[in-house]
Amino acid sequence: MINLYSYLGLSFVMFLSGIIVLVARKNIIAMLLGIELVLNAAGINFIAYTRFSNANLDGHIFTLFIIVVAAAEAAVGLAIAIRFFQIKETIHIDDAVTLQG
Amino acid sequence: MFLKFLFICSSLAVLFGSLMVACTKDIMHSCIYLFFCLLGVAGLYLTLNADFVAATQLVVYAGGIVILMVFATMLTGGSAFQAHNKFGFKKIPMMGSRETYIIGFISAFLFIAITFKLLLNLKEGLTPLSGQMPFETVRIIGHKLVTDHVLPFEISSVLLLGALVGAAMIARPRRG
Repeated sequence: MINLYSYLGLSFVMFLSGIIVLVARKNIIAMLLGIELVLNAAGINFIAYTRFSNANLDGHIFTLFIIVVAAAEAAVGLAIAIRFFQIKETIHIDDAVTLQG
Repeated sequence: MFLKFLFICSSLAVLFGSLMVACTKDIMHSCIYLFFCLLGVAGLYLTLNADFVAATQLVVYAGGIVILMVFATMLTGGSAFQAHNKFGFKKIPMMGSRETYIIGFISAFLFIAITFKLLLNLKEGLTPLSGQMPFETVRIIGHKLVTDHVLPFEISSVLLLGALVGAAMIARPRRG
């Protein structure tokens, strides 16, 4: 039986995977992958609540805006990662210490 | 019947893809597993009668962002890895070590514990209703985007323009 809890469980696992990636990885691009997982988990929750709780499609519009913001964030984040690689020859997150003084 | 089959396939793709993104050791493999995970999310949107959002998910995520990630991985590959940072301490390897994964799983476990502790109290409010969905969503979404939600729609256009110009500005090499 497919109900709301199955979708919530799936998005929960996805969110936890994103959190584990964000905590454990030290690569900037891998951390951006974790951010994408977290945003997609939020989108699944919006669509599932729209289907099971109220049917006025505001959750779909929120998910579309989440996709837009995720696309902008990925573009700017990858540009920063490439620029950082051009300067420092690495994308390890512990090498980003220029602003620490 | 078809709905259940699609749900099982996409949920398996989501579970396998997201766990393998978290656990694999290669960044390129991680991008490919993210692709499978996003395909599964699009399938889940299809099972929830959200056809327009599923198409947008396929076009923007699977067609755009994953390709962008793969290209950025290829452009930043082959870096000379120094084993020590500028303070002389031993550096954590690029894709995480055993200690960072232990810390990550501890934080995930704490998150699970706090979430279930909070959610057990309001379990009555979470009973799923079988709501009536409109069969076509594209017309309603388009109508809502230019009437009720027109301000975030316009702001997102400005955001996309700013992100485009900013990304091109940042990634441009400055020589001389």
